[in-house]
Amino acid sequence: MIAVVGYYSTKFGELWERSLFDLTKEAVNEVLKQTALEIKEIDAIFFANMLAGVLENNLHSSAKLAEIFNINIPIFRVEAACASGGMAVFLANQYLKANTNKTVLVVGAEKMTDFSPEQVTYGLSAAASSQEQEAGLTFPGLYALMANFYLHKYHYNEENLAYVSVKNHFHGSLNSKAHFRKKIIVDNVLESPYVAYPLKVLDSSPISDGAAALVLTNDKEKIKKIKNKAILLSCNLATDSISLAKRKNLDEILATKIAAEKAFKEAKIKPSEIQVAEVHDCFSIAEILAMEDLGFWEKGEGGKLITQFPTMIDKGDRLIVNTSGGLKASGHPVGATGVKQVGEIFLQLTNQAEKRQVKNVKYGLTHNVGGSGGTAVVSILAVSS
Amino acid sequence: MLSPVKIWRRQKEIRKILGKEGIIISWTKIYVATDEFKKQAPYFIVLIELEDKKRVIGQLVDFDKEKLNFGLKVKAVLRRIKEIKEEDIIPYGVKFKLVDEN
Repeated sequence: MIAVVGYYSTKFGELWERSLFDLTKEAVNEVLKQTALEIKEIDAIFFANMLAGVLENNLHSSAKLAEIFNINIPIFRVEAACASGGMAVFLANQYLKANTNKTVLVVGAEKMTDFSPEQVTYGLSAAASSQEQEAGLTFPGLYALMANFYLHKYHYNEENLAYVSVKNHFHGSLNSKAHFRKKIIVDNVLESPYVAYPLKVLDSSPISDGAAALVLTNDKEKIKKIKNKAILLSCNLATDSISLAKRKNLDEILATKIAAEKAFKEAKIKPSEIQVAEVHDCFSIAEILAMEDLGFWEKGEGGKLITQFPTMIDKGDRLIVNTSGGLKASGHPVGATGVKQVGEIFLQLTNQAEKRQVKNVKYGLTHNVGGSGGTAVVSILAVSS
Repeated sequence: MLSPVKIWRRQKEIRKILGKEGIIISWTKIYVATDEFKKQAPYFIVLIELEDKKRVIGQLVDFDKEKLNFGLKVKAVLRRIKEIKEEDIIPYGVKFKLVDEN
C-alpha cells in the first residue's frame, strides 16, 4: 500500500520576496514538520520544475537541493511542462512500487513573476512544437483552436466557457492559499480582454509563484503512526503528439482518456464513485474537455452542463471539481500544480479542507496535463479506512 | 534569431507544402504574442487539413475578416514570418490565403 501522509503548499501568487529555492525550502520544511519526520528519514526526492533552466539559467537542481537540506540521497528533477508535478508523483509512485519500506518527498516549485509576460510566454513556448512556434501560435492559442472547434461543433458560445471560471473563482475565495480570492460573475469573464479568440484573460490561469510538497510512503510503521493519510490507489501517465496538427480529434485530449482508463482499472473503481476531483483547467475549455475525457460527462455535453454549476460547492452534489480554485483561481506555478492537485485531494480525504471541505468523501481524482495534451497524468486516491 | 542552418533545414519542409490547398478546421486570433510576433498582433492562426489529409498550422493573411469561417478553402503561400534584428537572415515560411472561389 502506498499512502500520502503529508502535504504543504506555500501561498500561490506574486511572491517577489521569495526565490525558487526559498519556496522549495518552505514547502519541504513545513511538510516534514507536519508529519514529524526528519529529512534523514527521506529516501528520495522527486522535484518538479519546468522553467528555471530556460528563464534563470538554473539547472542541476538535484545538487542544489542536496546542499540546502544537507543530504546525499537520490534527487530527480522532473520536467513535462505543466504536467511536471503529475509526472513527479507518477515517478514517486513507481519508485515506491519497486522498493519496500521507503519514504519519499514529491516537491513542485516554480518562480514565474520575476519575468515579463513576454519572457514567460517565450519560456512556456519551449514546450511547444517548433512548427507551431514558427507560425506564431502561442500556448493560449493552442487551447483557443481547440475551444473554437468545440464551440463550433457543439453549437455553444463563449458564455458556456465562462461558467468554469466563475465556479473556480468561487472555490478560490474559500482557499487561503489561492492566488485569486475574488468572486467573479459571467459578465466579468465576457468583458475581459481577449488573449486568443475565443479565450479571454478570465478564461486563463495566471502566472504564479509557489511550491507544494507531499510525503509518500509504503513503510507500514510510518503509515500506522501518522494520523492524516490517504491511499494512492493508482497514478497513470500517457503521452501524445506535441503538435495539435498531428492529433486525430480536436475536441478531446487522448492522453487524458488513456491515463484515466488505466487509472480507473488499476484502482478498481468507476468514474461515478469519484466525489472530488482536481482537473487541469489551464483554460476554461480545458476543464470541459477534461470532464468529458475523464468519463464524468458525455462528449459534447460539458458546454451545456457547466451552466448549471453541477460541480460547484453548495450547488453540486455528486462530484465537486477544483475545490482549490483550480489552476484558474488557485494559481498555476507550473511545476507545483500537479503536486498541489494531489495535496488538495489529500486535504479533502482527511477532512482538512476547511471552508471548502466536501462531506463524506471516499474517493478523489487528480488530472494534470502538459502542454495542450502531450502528457497527461491521472491519479486516484481513497480515504484510509 | 533563426540560425542559417535551421533555415536551410526547414526550407526542405516548406517546399512540400507550398501551393497546396486545404480547408479551415479551426481558427483563432492571437492578441498576446511573443516578442518576435508582437508587431503583427493581433493576427489570425488557422489549422488546415490539406487535400492529402495532412494537417498544418499557419497564419491566415490577405483576407476580408468578415469572411473568415470554418470549412473555407485556403492555399499555402510563401511569406516572411517574423520580426528580425537588422542583420539577421529574413526567415520565410508558409502562411495561408483564402482561395477566390469561397
